[in-house]
Amino acid sequence: MILPSYYEYCCRVKTISGYKALEQIPAMLESMHVKKPMIITDKGVVGAGLIGIVKKAMGAKVKIGVTYDSVPVDSEYKVVNEAAEIYRKKGCDSLIAVGGGSAIDTAKGVNILVSLGGNNLLNYAGAHNIKQKLNPFIIIPTTSGTGSEMTNAAVIANHDKNIKMLFASYFLLPDIGILDPRMTKTLPPFLTALTGMDALTHACEAYFCLGKNPVSDSHAYLAIKGISENLLHAVKNPGDMKARLAMANAATMAGAAFSNSTCGMVHGLGHSVGGVCRVPHGNCMAIFLPYGLEYNLHKCADIIGEILFPLAGPEVYNSTPKKERPERVIELVRKMNQDLHDATGGRHPRFLKEILDRNGAQQVPKSALPAIAKTTIGDGTLVYNPEELTYDDAMLVLEHAWEGTPLNRKKIKKGRKKVKW
Amino acid sequence: MNINNYPEIKAGKDFISKIYVAIMLWIVGRAIQAASRVDKEVKKEFAEFPADFMMCMSILPFGPHMVVGKDKNGKVKYMGWNPQGKKITLTMNIKSMAAAMQVFTFQESTTTAFAHDRFTVDGDIVQGLAVVRVLNIVEVYLLPKIITKLAVKRYPKWSEMSPLRKWVGRIIIYVRAFTF
Repeated sequence: MILPSYYEYCCRVKTISGYKALEQIPAMLESMHVKKPMIITDKGVVGAGLIGIVKKAMGAKVKIGVTYDSVPVDSEYKVVNEAAEIYRKKGCDSLIAVGGGSAIDTAKGVNILVSLGGNNLLNYAGAHNIKQKLNPFIIIPTTSGTGSEMTNAAVIANHDKNIKMLFASYFLLPDIGILDPRMTKTLPPFLTALTGMDALTHACEAYFCLGKNPVSDSHAYLAIKGISENLLHAVKNPGDMKARLAMANAATMAGAAFSNSTCGMVHGLGHSVGGVCRVPHGNCMAIFLPYGLEYNLHKCADIIGEILFPLAGPEVYNSTPKKERPERVIELVRKMNQDLHDATGGRHPRFLKEILDRNGAQQVPKSALPAIAKTTIGDGTLVYNPEELTYDDAMLVLEHAWEGTPLNRKKIKKGRKKVKW
Repeated sequence: MNINNYPEIKAGKDFISKIYVAIMLWIVGRAIQAASRVDKEVKKEFAEFPADFMMCMSILPFGPHMVVGKDKNGKVKYMGWNPQGKKITLTMNIKSMAAAMQVFTFQESTTTAFAHDRFTVDGDIVQGLAVVRVLNIVEVYLLPKIITKLAVKRYPKWSEMSPLRKWVGRIIIYVRAFTF
C-alpha cells in the first residue's frame, strides 16, 4: 500500500443498489422533505422507456414538477440556464437526474443555479466557487461509466469558446445515487462498451496518478476487477441483469475513486478531443487509456503493474514476472478495446481516425490535432499526471493515437525517474 | 457553571515559519514579475490571461499573501503582500503553514502539493494550472538543478531550455527581482 504523506478523501453519497432500488425513491424524497422534484434527462432515455420505469417505480403519490428532456449529448451551459428557469417557473424543490454523464452534469449545473441564484452558470465556473449546500438531489445513472453520481465535479461545455468548463465542489455531490440494473438493461452494446471503458479509465487513472490514496485505491481496485469480469459479458449479453448491476457498481466505485484522486493525461486529452471535435467522452477514454499507461510507465511501472491483479486475476498476475506486469496491463487494455471492437461489429473505435459521426464522416481530422493539443495543455487534470505533458508531448501521443500505433517510447521526454508519493 | 473556567484557546503562532514563507512569497512574486519580461514561455502564459488578471496566493488562515497581477499597461507585476482592496480574480490558497513549509522548503513539489489537496483554487482552473507552470519555470531559474529536480516533474531538457537561455535568464531574473 502506498500511503501519501498527506491526502484528503470525501464521498458522502448514500448509495442504493439493487434489482428494485428505484422503488425506494418515494421514501428517499420524503426523508429529504421534498415534494416536487424536477426530472432532468434526455430524449434517448425517454425513448428507451426508462423515465416510464422510474415514474412507475415512484408510484402515483409522488408529484413530479416537470420532466426536462432536452439535454443534448454534450451538456451545455445554455441548456443549464434554460432548465433552471423552467425549475423556478414550475416551483420545483428538488432534482432527479436520470441519464448518463451529460444529463447528470446538466442537473448539477441546474442545481447550482436554482440553489444559489443567478441566471448564468458561467459565474460559478472553477473550483470551490460553490460554498454552500445545494437543493436535494438524486442521481439515477443510465450508463455504467461516468460515475458522476459519486463525483464532486461537473464538466459543462461552452460551445462559444470550444472548451469544457469544470465546476468542482463537494457540494456538487448528490444526496443519493440509485443503481438499478433496469436502467442500463437497454443500453446498446457499443454504448455499454464505451461507457465501461470510461469507468475503467477512471479507476486506472485514480490508481496510478499523483492523487492516489489508499481509500480511493480500494475503490479503484474493485472497480477494475468488476469491469474486467463483466464488461465484455454485458456487451455480449445485454439482458444479463447481474452483469449490469455489477457494471453499475464498478462505475460507481470508479467514480468515487477518481473524484478523490483525480485523473491524468488520458482525461486531459479526452476532454480536449470532446471539446474540439465533439467526440463522446467514453470513446476518447478507451482510445487514450493505453497511451496514458505507456506514457507514464517510466514514472510508476510498479503501480501500473499492480493493476494486472484486478484486471486479469490472481493466476495471470502470479505467473507474470514483476517486470513484465506493466506491459501486460497495457497489452490487456488494448486487447479489451479489440474485443469490444469485435463484439460491437466495429462500432467501438480503437483509435482516433476510426471515430465516425452519425453520417459516417471522420470526426477527428488529423488537422485538428494541434488545436486538441493546445486545449489539452490548459486542462486541469494534467497536474495529477505523473509525467509532465507539454504541447509537443501531447502532439506525440495524439499522432500515435490517431494512427493507432503504439507510442514511440524513445521519443518520450523522461523526468525524474520515480514518483515520490 | 463558571464560564471563565473555559477560556478561549488561541492558536499558537509560528513566527519563524511565517517570516520564512513571507520572504519566499516575496521572492517568488518578484521573480514571476521578472520572468514575465525575460522568459518567452512565461510571457506566453500571461499573454493568455485577461487584462484584469489578479492572483493572490495565501497561506490559510491568516497569511502571508502574495499578489501578482497585470497593471494598466498589461504588464505582469508583483502587487505586494496585501490583497485588501484589490480585485482578485484567482485565489490559490495553501491550506496550512505546515503545508506551505513543505512546499517552500522544496520537500514537496508544487504539483505533489496539488495532488495531495494542499491547495485550494478559487477561480478559473485553467489559469491556476498556468500559474503552476509559471511557478515551475521560475523555480528552474531561481534554484540549482539538484533542488529543482525535486520540485518539478521533469527538469527541462537542453532542447527545451538551453544552458545559455537558463543562465542568462537566471542572472537577469535575479538582478531584476532584487533591484527594481
